[in-house]
Amino acid sequence: MLKEKMSFREGYRGRTIYKIFSFVFFAVLTVAMIIPIWKVLVDSFNNMTTYGITLFPEKPSVAAYKMIFTQSSLLQPFLISIYTTVAGTAVGLLLCTTGAFVLKEKELPGRRLLSFFLLFTMIFEGGIVPSFLVMKQLKMLNTYWAIILPLAMNVYNLILMRNFFENIPESLFESAELDGASPIRVFISIVLPLSAAALASIGLFYAVSFWSNYTSFALYISDASMHNFQIKLRTLILDENALAAAGSLGISSKSVQNAAIIVAILPFAFLYPFLQKYFVTGINMGAVKE
Amino acid sequence: MKKSARFLSLALAAILMLAMFAPIAAAETAKPETISFFIDTVYGSMMLESTFQPVVDKFKELTGITIKFIKPEHSVYYDQLNLSFASGEIPDLMELGSTNYPTYATSGALADITEIWENSALKASGVVDEQYVDALKIDGKLYGFPLAMGNGTITYVRQDWLDNLGMATPTNYDEFVEMLRAFTEDDPDGNGVDDTFGITAPGLINGETPYDIYLREFYQDAKPDFYQVDGVWVDGMQQPQMVDALYRLRDVYEKGYMDAEVITNNTSAAREKFYAGQVGTFNYWAGNWNVTIENNTTKNFPNAKVSPLPAIAGLYIERPPLALAISAACANPEGVFEYLLSYAYDGGEGQTLFTRGIEGINYELVDGEYKQKVDPENEGKLFEKVIGAPDLAFTTWADPVKLDQRVIDSKAMFMANRTFDPVPPATDVWKDNIAEVIAIRKEAIALAVTDSATTPEQAIANYVAEAQPFIDAILADLNK
Amino acid sequence: MTQMPAIKPNPHYRKSALRDRMWKYRYHYLLFIPVLVVTFLFYYLPIGGIRFSFFRYTPFSPPSWVGWANFERLLFQRPAFWTAFNNTLILSLSNLALSMICSVVLSLLLNEVSTRWVKRSLQTVVYLPHFLSWVVVAAIFTIILAPGNNPATSGLINAYLLKWGIVQKPIYFLADSKWWTPVYLFISRWKETGWGTVIFLATLTSISPDLYEAAQIDGAGRWRQMLNVTLPALANTFVVVLILNLSKVMNLFESVLVLQNARVERATEVIQTYVYHTALTAQSAEYGYPTAVGLFRSLISSVLVISCNFASKKINGRGIL
Repeated sequence: MLKEKMSFREGYRGRTIYKIFSFVFFAVLTVAMIIPIWKVLVDSFNNMTTYGITLFPEKPSVAAYKMIFTQSSLLQPFLISIYTTVAGTAVGLLLCTTGAFVLKEKELPGRRLLSFFLLFTMIFEGGIVPSFLVMKQLKMLNTYWAIILPLAMNVYNLILMRNFFENIPESLFESAELDGASPIRVFISIVLPLSAAALASIGLFYAVSFWSNYTSFALYISDASMHNFQIKLRTLILDENALAAAGSLGISSKSVQNAAIIVAILPFAFLYPFLQKYFVTGINMGAVKE
Repeated sequence: MKKSARFLSLALAAILMLAMFAPIAAAETAKPETISFFIDTVYGSMMLESTFQPVVDKFKELTGITIKFIKPEHSVYYDQLNLSFASGEIPDLMELGSTNYPTYATSGALADITEIWENSALKASGVVDEQYVDALKIDGKLYGFPLAMGNGTITYVRQDWLDNLGMATPTNYDEFVEMLRAFTEDDPDGNGVDDTFGITAPGLINGETPYDIYLREFYQDAKPDFYQVDGVWVDGMQQPQMVDALYRLRDVYEKGYMDAEVITNNTSAAREKFYAGQVGTFNYWAGNWNVTIENNTTKNFPNAKVSPLPAIAGLYIERPPLALAISAACANPEGVFEYLLSYAYDGGEGQTLFTRGIEGINYELVDGEYKQKVDPENEGKLFEKVIGAPDLAFTTWADPVKLDQRVIDSKAMFMANRTFDPVPPATDVWKDNIAEVIAIRKEAIALAVTDSATTPEQAIANYVAEAQPFIDAILADLNK
Repeated sequence: MTQMPAIKPNPHYRKSALRDRMWKYRYHYLLFIPVLVVTFLFYYLPIGGIRFSFFRYTPFSPPSWVGWANFERLLFQRPAFWTAFNNTLILSLSNLALSMICSVVLSLLLNEVSTRWVKRSLQTVVYLPHFLSWVVVAAIFTIILAPGNNPATSGLINAYLLKWGIVQKPIYFLADSKWWTPVYLFISRWKETGWGTVIFLATLTSISPDLYEAAQIDGAGRWRQMLNVTLPALANTFVVVLILNLSKVMNLFESVLVLQNARVERATEVIQTYVYHTALTAQSAEYGYPTAVGLFRSLISSVLVISCNFASKKINGRGIL
């Protein structure tokens, strides 16, 4: 509403020019963004092997999608992906918000040391073999803990979250402290409700990292029945043999590959518009004023 | 305490003595209880259980031995295998590719099975084609048993295009190039549009040894790798034949008969271009792939016909076979060899079990003929194999299921026109330097063929200038 | 930042004050325990593996001490390494600079779109490429940029370049070392710019509308408002994202690997692809050398992060440490 008023007050001509520019810019951008994805989409519906870009499928068919959704060897990995993504994002947000809440306290003794302790792991790492051996000693091989816990502790996300928390007006904390609220209460009743956009965006970061996780599954999970969709997708795309004979059903193997790619990005095509409702200006500060 | 220790050492000594005389006392080899088995190239196996469990159960029923299959994700197979060594959980038996097999063997990771093989009933039975076993010998010692024939690539051509153009199958290099020209310029698909070309490949040089399995018609007697001439190791890139080979490739590339994108192609791009009717010739695996390629092409062009070509100028190359190697840490290598390997490659019922699977589950009798059943994990696909592929058997095995005639033909064509590639040497010096040489070699070949500003001679001169220290180190080491 | 209190009390007093302050924050420490435990278990326990930089370490035998040999091989016996080192810095830093600029500009433009459904659709469309894996992206762009043997088999770009007479001969973009870097930077932007806007768009929502109101009262137009209110509000996030991403500059790997080919591989090699091509290949199965390269990368990253953090503190008083 506020925005409407602002634009009224401005020069009408400047606004029109900007609008035209903006329209052209986004139209070109959208086309450039969509062409490659359109190719994947067309190929997934095309029951024919082509090489190159076509505007529409030559032999339209949904057989590839049918195959993916009816084949248990792809459905179960899809469900495993959903499970690890949801669980991992929850654990990740828990670690990241508590850590950020602590590190945002400028007066906290040892704050710099703790920050350093975390940042060090972002730059230095021990390598594959030691990580595997540790995981083995912790008896976490072939468990989803090996997937969830290491990725849930993400220093990058934690520091970003701290940056969001630092933007919350200091006055709020002061008044809460005067009311005698414990830090844990402050965290739950002030910090979290005010950080909708931060939680949504960093939650999205976590979700993506878990959804697209390939490496930890390949290294720590040797039981193929526990593998996620990304691993199967990789096999579909890269493994010469995996789809060599998908043709016996009369389905082009290329359409199955492309359909699998589309299925893998589908959840995020819907998730982001949904999350954007937490990205609206005014929610935060409105809550504060009341 | 002390007493018991002494007793224990005496007992141990006695057991050792017994063990030493055991072969004389009893010819029977101890039977292992379980065998852990790392495996990689299992055809389309997305779920381990459905393929292997029935076979594992059946084997246990027959012998009382439990096989513990471990099948990591393909792209991290060697990471996982290395990790199992590093963490001390070493498998008894493992599949190794031609690049890794010598590395593992020279690192002392594998059991020397030369004696076991020489004295085995399997060798005595004569069912095994011994050239495949010999191909795995390193300095006369055997560290692994072949999983299947090595196989290699063969040249596939669109026979219907040849027919459209009224051309005969080429029999020499000039006719071959003439065919590529016609495929490029004479509208072989008769659609009136300039939309075809002669030949494609996934790169000018293969990513792993053997490096020259593609584009055989052009490489001919040149070999872009280290090899022995009269017992002396030389660098194939610096041999005179290589310049000629590069000129042949450069010629067809410049004229537009060869795929302009040959450098950026991967295997799937090369296949898809062939399926899509853009290109008339390409090199790909012999055997089962023949059927897959034909099916995919006829799906797009019902009148298409795909034929394998006999070798024209350079023979096709057979890779060294994949190896099934017993680890040095395995407690009972004789047992693993005798009870599992000898059975799985016995040329009879054992081989049927480990190749075709189980009657009623993986194949069945229909109207007096054995047919493959549907793959339990891939509806719509026939069950291909358990470990060794049926079309790549190297024993006198009588396959109960009849192979597709096209597979038999393509394999026969390959076998009649192929030469065996040796296992590469894997000394420490070679391991430390070979990758640098490969990178410089790939670049030189790419420039010589696709960059009009660089002649083959210049490209090779640049290669020598940059790779010299690494080449010298390798040659000095191999020839010492 | 464990800043000492502004007034310097005597040492004894300070000691008890520290204890008091720590007691005051006891719940904070409690909250931090899970973070510490998980970090310790999964990052600090394996970190001892760094010592293998000084060993020859294969899976088949116990590690053997080789002193500085791995580093000597890397820094003095492999000229290709220094090409890779330079390429890493040039490619990665220009990629980072472009990504920061493009993402901020796109966020600002998106933020000005007033129709809500248009804005949401645009945001979704620009962020989707992030979810295609690099392997897939490389395959698609290889096709789009293909030179082709004839008009029917050339890629989209070359087809139009030829049609409009801009070039006479198709350009082999991915196999030409002159073109490779700009093409790589473009593809990276195509894939990641939309994703980069997520964090900035989230930050923009936390700007208080009061600030805009105040600016309007001062008679600031839209442009002024952006300069005086929006940009300063983004500055903190900008700096934090910049420093965090600097720590990853040396990790550049998959995106380069999938777009390389035999002809440009050596010219475009970055450190990680160099290690992948020369040390992690099937032939070697040796971990000491790659670990040494890893340690070298980490040291360079530390220098980058620490100096940028220092500069940022000097300029706007905030860093990440």
